[in-house]
Amino acid sequence: MQGVLDFFSNTIGGLWGDSGLHALFAEGGWKNLIMILVSFLFMYLAIAKGFEPLLLLPISFGMLLTNLPMAGLYHPELWVLVDGHVDYGTVLRDGGLLDILYLGVKLQLYPPLIFLGIGCMTDFSPLIANPKSFLLGAAAQGGIFFTFVVAGILGFTAAEAGSIAIIGGADGPTAIYVSTKLLTGGGAITTGNIALAAYTYMALVPIIQPPIMRALTSKKERSVKMETLRTVSKTEKIIFPIAVTIIVSLLVPSAAPLVGMLMFGNLLKESGVAARLIDTAQNALMNIITIFLGISVGATTKADQIINIKFGGVMLLGVIAFSLGTACGLIFGKIMYKVTGGKVNPLIGSAGVSAVPMAARISQKVGAETDPTNFLLMHAMGPNVAGVIGSAVAAGVLLSVIGN
Amino acid sequence: MYIHPIISAAEKVLVGTEKLNGTQIAAMTIIGLLVVFCALLILVAFLYGSGSLFKKSNSAKPPAPKKPAAPAPVKQAAKPAAPARSAQAAPAPAPAASAEDDAEVVAVIMAAIAAMGAAEGKQYQLRSVKQVTRGGGRSVWAQAGLSDATRPF
Repeated sequence: MQGVLDFFSNTIGGLWGDSGLHALFAEGGWKNLIMILVSFLFMYLAIAKGFEPLLLLPISFGMLLTNLPMAGLYHPELWVLVDGHVDYGTVLRDGGLLDILYLGVKLQLYPPLIFLGIGCMTDFSPLIANPKSFLLGAAAQGGIFFTFVVAGILGFTAAEAGSIAIIGGADGPTAIYVSTKLLTGGGAITTGNIALAAYTYMALVPIIQPPIMRALTSKKERSVKMETLRTVSKTEKIIFPIAVTIIVSLLVPSAAPLVGMLMFGNLLKESGVAARLIDTAQNALMNIITIFLGISVGATTKADQIINIKFGGVMLLGVIAFSLGTACGLIFGKIMYKVTGGKVNPLIGSAGVSAVPMAARISQKVGAETDPTNFLLMHAMGPNVAGVIGSAVAAGVLLSVIGN
Repeated sequence: MYIHPIISAAEKVLVGTEKLNGTQIAAMTIIGLLVVFCALLILVAFLYGSGSLFKKSNSAKPPAPKKPAAPAPVKQAAKPAAPARSAQAAPAPAPAASAEDDAEVVAVIMAAIAAMGAAEGKQYQLRSVKQVTRGGGRSVWAQAGLSDATRPF
């Protein structure tokens, strides 16, 4: 009888020891609990508030899965460098589902493929019709480089400073691409940290940008109505992606994977002869990659890697990067307002931070607050898509200069 | 001999795992911004160049034959003041405009006003329909379309 009782107690004890509940209440389990609650918050923001749901929902669910103790879907220890390299054989042999999906992030496959889909969906006509928009897209990248200054002064390493600074580009795939390339040393900051900060602030663009836009512009400047853009011919639209690919890739080769795929997607769209490829790239492929990218990036947010002082620094610098990028775009917009004798509405400058198309929508919204008959959306789309190219170039510069 | 195209970390200017000094930070910021501006300035120059080429080639083409003029729009469509007691009764009065299109336009306007009045619980009388010529900018319909397209933002 005693033997039977011992067997029962040992079995139940073993089951309890192997359960996630036991791990949750063990030492450090509270961190997992906090991360699970954070994932709930993100799900709420995505579902109830509609903040970037296509990205926040996969990320938040990945966050939930990875922080459920003992589930074994993602193993950060497999990604620790051995003799300067990840042992991909071990990852394939011992990895969980999310480890395998994370391969696409680690090997920098997903961000360029996302850019392919974005290229298929982007109309560069506002930029081609008004090439000056490129300057606003360049100015807004000031957020990246000025944040690099702040991060450097605060004592972050070169790779960490570069990865944090790229959050100011307001472009999730670019941020993931740069941070995956730079953060391979197993430091306190991971790609998951950077992606989480980047996507959080991208979702919060409607909250972060308008106060800065109102503070830095006068009512007179905000009420400027811009001239209607000229019509762009099909030939111009076809030449544009080819020319951008050649020019940017020759100047900053590190930016070629992102810019090249963005422009390839756009060439498919503008050529008008590849309807099936466009359909796949902007729908099925884009959706699959978004799911894989979101859930595997969410999986990297293990409690130990998020609940630390360095991640607090990343979040703080991330909002500084976004704000500085917005401010730089607006200030350059004000310069263009002066130079053109009041023909440019400075509000379109803030759209230079990428975050397509949300940042352009915000320019439209803030402009319409001052004058409901003012429609800045198409004018803001120029700097907005220029910002995508600009942030990819800035990413290329960071990758060219900083080693890992 | 095969030369590996990937530049190793040691050949890069900044070592990722090392902290930055003032000179490195300043140089990186200035050079980074300059490169981004230069790259995009080259693209601006290219777009202006190609844009002017296309404008020239477009202007060199013979103008397309003009389409026959569209029928004149409603100038004035006065109608007798008829009491519009309900949404159904509103379209009853006949408009004074001669063209069938104009009558349809007036009927649509009357129906819209009647529907608006029904929603508010009020009755309106349509006394005249005049086309308003705007000094410039977008037409009312273009404005309405834009408002509709940008309302969610």
